[in-house]
Amino acid sequence: MKKFIKNNGTFIALIVLVIILSIASPSFLSSRNLTNLIRQVTINGIIAVGMTMVILLAGIDLSVGSVVGLSAVTVTLLMQAGLGIWLAILITLVGVGGVIGFFNGFMSAKFDIHPFIITLGIMTIARGLSLVLTQGVSIPVTNMTFAVIGSGYIPKLPSLIILVIALALGIFAVFKTSVEIRKGEKVRNKAKLTVGIILIVVGFIAGFYAFIGYQGIPIPVAIFAVVVMAGAYTLRKTRFGRKLYAIGGNEEVAWLSGINILKSKTMVFVITGVLSAASGILLASRLNGASPNLGDGFELDAIASVIIGGTSFMGGVGTVTGTVIGAIIIGVINNGMSLLGINSFYQMIVKGFIIILAVMIDVLNRRETA
Amino acid sequence: MAEEILEMKNIIKDFPGVRALDHVNFALEKGEILALVGENGAGKSTLMKVLSGVWPYPTYEGDIYLDDMLVRFENTREAEEAGIGIIHQELNLLPDLSVAENIFLDRQPLNKFGGIKWEELYHNAEKVLARLNMNIDPRTELGDLTVGKQQMVEIAKALSLDTRILVFDEPTSALTESEVNELFTVINELRASGVSIIYISHKMEEIEEIADSVVVLRDGATIGEKINIDQVTLDEIITRMVGRDINDLFPKKDFQRGEKTLEVKNISVPDPFSPDKKLVDNVSFSAYKGEILGISGLMGAGRTELVNAIFGVYGKKREGEIYLNGQKLKIKSPADAIKNGIALVTEDRKELGLLLDKNLVMNMTLPSIKKFSSKMAMDNHAERTVAEKYVDELNIKTPSLDVFVEKLSGGNQQKVVIGKWLITDSDVLILDEPTRGIDVGAKTEVYRLMNQLVEEGVTVIMISSELPEIMGMSDRIVVMSEGKKTAELDRSEADQETIMKYATGNKGVE
Repeated sequence: MKKFIKNNGTFIALIVLVIILSIASPSFLSSRNLTNLIRQVTINGIIAVGMTMVILLAGIDLSVGSVVGLSAVTVTLLMQAGLGIWLAILITLVGVGGVIGFFNGFMSAKFDIHPFIITLGIMTIARGLSLVLTQGVSIPVTNMTFAVIGSGYIPKLPSLIILVIALALGIFAVFKTSVEIRKGEKVRNKAKLTVGIILIVVGFIAGFYAFIGYQGIPIPVAIFAVVVMAGAYTLRKTRFGRKLYAIGGNEEVAWLSGINILKSKTMVFVITGVLSAASGILLASRLNGASPNLGDGFELDAIASVIIGGTSFMGGVGTVTGTVIGAIIIGVINNGMSLLGINSFYQMIVKGFIIILAVMIDVLNRRETA
Repeated sequence: MAEEILEMKNIIKDFPGVRALDHVNFALEKGEILALVGENGAGKSTLMKVLSGVWPYPTYEGDIYLDDMLVRFENTREAEEAGIGIIHQELNLLPDLSVAENIFLDRQPLNKFGGIKWEELYHNAEKVLARLNMNIDPRTELGDLTVGKQQMVEIAKALSLDTRILVFDEPTSALTESEVNELFTVINELRASGVSIIYISHKMEEIEEIADSVVVLRDGATIGEKINIDQVTLDEIITRMVGRDINDLFPKKDFQRGEKTLEVKNISVPDPFSPDKKLVDNVSFSAYKGEILGISGLMGAGRTELVNAIFGVYGKKREGEIYLNGQKLKIKSPADAIKNGIALVTEDRKELGLLLDKNLVMNMTLPSIKKFSSKMAMDNHAERTVAEKYVDELNIKTPSLDVFVEKLSGGNQQKVVIGKWLITDSDVLILDEPTRGIDVGAKTEVYRLMNQLVEEGVTVIMISSELPEIMGMSDRIVVMSEGKKTAELDRSEADQETIMKYATGNKGVE
């Protein structure tokens, strides 16, 4: 039982947090609030999936917030200039997210400079570019189709079907794993399986209650879900994911085992750049425009989500699922404190303490197992 | 009869499972230069660590007398204060500080506000350096000096502590010839001024040139009495160093030598820290199917660097050519080497061989993940099956495939590293010190495995510092010294004395 709590600390913390908030504020558990909460999480959550991979390599990317801002500005300006929505989005994803990510990864890996420094530089450069492009003022976009991406909903019936399919797939996956365990092909503890089932069922009930009870699944949430699934699959199942864990575990050993460090690192930063750009586009769509300061400080929430989610700052250990829970915890704290009428200045203080607490728990756990 | 300044009596030092020092006895006279010689792992460094308080009393047994007084150092500081200084192989200095600051680190003269009295500091440094006849400005940043000069600074630091016994641990390994001469002049002057010196070196000519007497250590014990250098030949010293029989620890098999597989020509690797020196200097050799090629030499001879160069570790900095089965290979990284069928079991398994906090499967399939993945996704079932097969074949003792390899014993970890390279199905398997730090049983298993691989047609190359191992397992032996290949010996012509002669750079008589 003690081990169970230790291994699932963040998940339990989330549940406790939800219980406290639903008692403290009756409106917390309303469908409307939950839908909004999850939608707020998506912006940070999408970035955090990329950040998980970066931190898995014992790296860091401070430029994500600025990339969000520059992408929002770019996509808006491109559309103002008369480009079609999809072309504008594509150019932003590749031209802003991809290029900046490539620069971050290539420079730090090729010249062996800590990504902290490269991305710190890029963070300032990208923010400066946003200010230059907008002349420092907010710019609007008036396009109904574009607005749907960030603020639209999948209608209730298709939403329900999606949720049921997700539930079925989840149960199937758990069933498959349990068969593998029985065959002796995987030695996972049963507790993990139980947590899996709980997670799926709770997720389904929460999703059903929040989305079907309100207006359906928000489109950004659907996008987030796809990103999470792709991220989790990449880390758990692909060759690329395996390389990342190896590099994060011991870069020298990985290199001597024939892994191309430069390629893998660059790829990770490109992914993070593109995901940050996607986040920026969603934000621009939601706000019907962009301001040059958009995304300011987002890197901190993303890093915090990853760390709270149990990814080790030393690299080599971490999961996307953990990061999602971390992102939701941060979302719940923000949302809950707003509902309780706590000044946003205090919210920052509380968040800071929670980050330190999460890292402390991680360090102490590690020391105990060592 | 000169007076004895130091006497070490019946020193015993045990490490878990090994007795590193076994009743070591020797005495040092005032103003004497005593050479301490022995193979790698004979116990020289351990003995000096006992002397200098790195291993404090009572982690060792026996008595140390300084000026006939029993001393028991509890830390290095106490040994320093008693006048014992060590010049390590790797210098212990801070390159970004000035020469004077390095000499008087933590002992700078201070004014009443705690600030450093710079003029006094430089003046004091000048005085110490003058004792060495060294014309170095104490204001110079240490990193701007050559390695030889830096070593002088280290000696000056020891002298500033009123050192009476100065230990030199392989002091010439990083020096050029003229720097060596300069060092010897200084050592002779130190002796004249009454400092006693313990000189550790592998290089026989140096010992002949500088030392007054020799003490030989072998397997942690002193062999014979201290001998005067004039009364002994180098060959006799070498015989004392190695004098061991090869027991039947080595299950050597006779193979039929096959075709030439790996051939390297003129491999050189520049020393990144001193451009006029080379880590590997123009080495060529060939390896064949159906034989084990041994690479012998002392520590720092450039053996590991040679195989690393072949494996692509130095990238474009490596010079020379590599051929496999007559085909010239382009190897710019370990990935290229692996692709071309060359595998390297690295010496340091914990830092370079294993992902310690990952499980056996992930470790073993890492160099061959391409084989276990279709397009993008890993085939977990296939990799488990293969890992399981090698765990069985190599007799790796583990509770399951899912434990972190850091939980395994040294021998089993080594087998995981070997397994990881066997899975790559390489043509050439290079093993760098494959039996270091593993127990005798596991060693024999590794030897048997090498035999089996040779029979399966793999070209096996083994680096080893242990002469019995090199002689017991190799069909042919390449000997290296100071980055150069000094000999290539057939099994029949290789005895320990011959190898040692070439390894110490002493060409001897053909």
